[in-house]
Amino acid sequence: MSKAIEFMGMQLKNPILVGAGPWSRNGEAMQRSIDAGAAAVCTKTITLEATPRVCPRLYLDGDSLFNTTLHSELHLEQWESELETLKKGDCKLICSIWGSSPSELSYLATRVERMGADAIEISISAPVGSRNQYIYSHSPDIRGFVEAAVKAVQIPVMVKLSYEAAASPEFLSAIADAGAAGVSAIDAMRGLSGIDIETCRARMPAYGGYTGKHIHAIALAVTASLRQYTPMQICSVGGIGSYEDVLEFLMLGATCVQLASAIQLHGHGVISRILSDLDAWLPAHGYSSAGDVCGAALKTLVPFEDINPRPLRAALQSACREDCGLCIEGCLYDAINRGADGEIALDSSRCAGCGFCAARCPKHRFSLEWA
Amino acid sequence: MNIRKVAEIAGVSVATISRVLNHPEQVLPETRERVLAVMREQDYTPNWFARGLNLGKTNTISLLVPSIESGLHQSIISGIETVARNKGYAVFFCDTHGDAQIEYDYLKMAETRRIDGVILICSRLGEQQLLPLREKRLLPCVHIGKNRIVGCETLCYIDFDEGAYRLMRHLLSLGHQRFHLLLDPLQESEAAQIRSGMRRALADQGLPTDSFSESFSDNSVRGGYLAAQKIMQKGSLPHALVTSGHEQAFGVIKAAQDEGLDIPARLALASLTDSPVCPIVTPPLTGLELPATKLGMAAARMLFDRIEDEELDLNVPQEMVLQPKLKIRRSCGNRKYIYELFD
Repeated sequence: MSKAIEFMGMQLKNPILVGAGPWSRNGEAMQRSIDAGAAAVCTKTITLEATPRVCPRLYLDGDSLFNTTLHSELHLEQWESELETLKKGDCKLICSIWGSSPSELSYLATRVERMGADAIEISISAPVGSRNQYIYSHSPDIRGFVEAAVKAVQIPVMVKLSYEAAASPEFLSAIADAGAAGVSAIDAMRGLSGIDIETCRARMPAYGGYTGKHIHAIALAVTASLRQYTPMQICSVGGIGSYEDVLEFLMLGATCVQLASAIQLHGHGVISRILSDLDAWLPAHGYSSAGDVCGAALKTLVPFEDINPRPLRAALQSACREDCGLCIEGCLYDAINRGADGEIALDSSRCAGCGFCAARCPKHRFSLEWA
Repeated sequence: MNIRKVAEIAGVSVATISRVLNHPEQVLPETRERVLAVMREQDYTPNWFARGLNLGKTNTISLLVPSIESGLHQSIISGIETVARNKGYAVFFCDTHGDAQIEYDYLKMAETRRIDGVILICSRLGEQQLLPLREKRLLPCVHIGKNRIVGCETLCYIDFDEGAYRLMRHLLSLGHQRFHLLLDPLQESEAAQIRSGMRRALADQGLPTDSFSESFSDNSVRGGYLAAQKIMQKGSLPHALVTSGHEQAFGVIKAAQDEGLDIPARLALASLTDSPVCPIVTPPLTGLELPATKLGMAAARMLFDRIEDEELDLNVPQEMVLQPKLKIRRSCGNRKYIYELFD
């Protein structure tokens, strides 16, 4: 069984990349991802002017992660020496870059190519800071930006997209026309961790990047729609923390994925864990290579208008006397009640087949059946 | 055999080869030895090395500034110094007082002192004046400014055209229609860009592109104060006054206070620069944040590319443009807090 894939003309030993972020803040941190088996690592975003760190910059609310970090705090010259110490082996190096103009991007692109980058990721839509609004809402502009980088180097260039950018077919075709070989999506969402209502103060001083498993569902939908909108290869990002998550994205048409918050939460070990889980799962399910999974689930998606309106009704599989009452609370059709004897009773004539009880019952006692 | 081939055989990046040639002390000894061994095996000698150019290197660059006191220039200088220090170069500061003759004298001095390269800020050298030579070749040179100078092919500058356009769009969105532009006589090239951006914004709105008057004053608080007094005496005030620097704008605020003129109710005010003081004056001043430190860093890098990486036959742009950012505050009539977070 081979996990190897081809992405933007690069031979990658597996589909697991490490995204741009604090876990790639310097050579030493990136080396840990390389040693853990990542197929490619992205640097933290390199700019012409290093961005100072703010403290604090990471926020947590339950499972929700927020950050107010923007670009790398290292200068180009420092990155030069950081990358010099990297022992890449068969891992590929992707340099993430950001610039305010095409000429700035083209300069950075040549510099990182000279520093040994195997590919470039242009960060156009980080949700932190307010400098990107103008670029990512203007297709003619984005074309000039991407083209400047593509023309300056021999290595492949991909563009990291925000949720909004990924939803625009015009924007995507501008990127493709500019010569980008791939896209990565989605970047962190713009979020606020909350308001302390007692003191009437926001918990974060500025909008931050909202990441982690809560954006996973959004990233899945983006991957599927990107597959419809563009022929460019897709590298999915967004709340990926397990081999199941990886497979979901691949099955929706991603060629590979980037791990991000999962490394913040669980350390670099999550990379090797996911890789060994994939090693076990793929052959056990009859797949001879990771590429075979790619896009396999897309055929099960249809446009909403094409869903067959099957007449279904809920059915109770076995008697239930549980106290929870979730099914009763959630039935907007008043089809579920509790009898005098305390047993859950279903009135099929009132049921409209929405499926909520079946989805919600912790004991899985409901199913949907032909009416 | 070229530098890329050497890098490939040694299994290092091109940047590392460049560092071995230019700053061997900054490269890990084992890497350096490996690279040097490959160069010996392949019988590779860089051209500039063969010409003995490295022998005369002084690791010093000259920086010609029209006014060392200007806040904008100080940020540019700080950016240049940061990169120069990272690269192991010293910077030789020269204040040209905006005088082409002093500028030329300093360039001659750069030649006799065997300076490795020069950065010029807002040069006033005309197109016919040639830069001095170094080893029978033009001295490596970068100009921070949009106008071309003979012998200096590398330019980097801030896009004042786009900055002025965005600022005007903001002013127009608030309903202002008659404008006055207060310029700095030392910034000829910038003034042309600013006018062009303002005209573009006016044309977008279908307004006559000459809907603004102009005057000049020193780029200082006093200059702004005097200019504002003159404008206020004329009787018919413009809707909005745009200054080329924030210090001029502070002078305007003081003059308006002395006259009992309310900013922004009677006169909107914006600056084409920004400073940490702008948000704390009353009213907080709307301005353009200029990436000055970044501009200095970019210029220094482009100069070191010229000095050190001749071998690479670099496909780098000869011209780099950086974008300013509009900081919307209260001095133009904006009352929506949200605009201060977005732009």
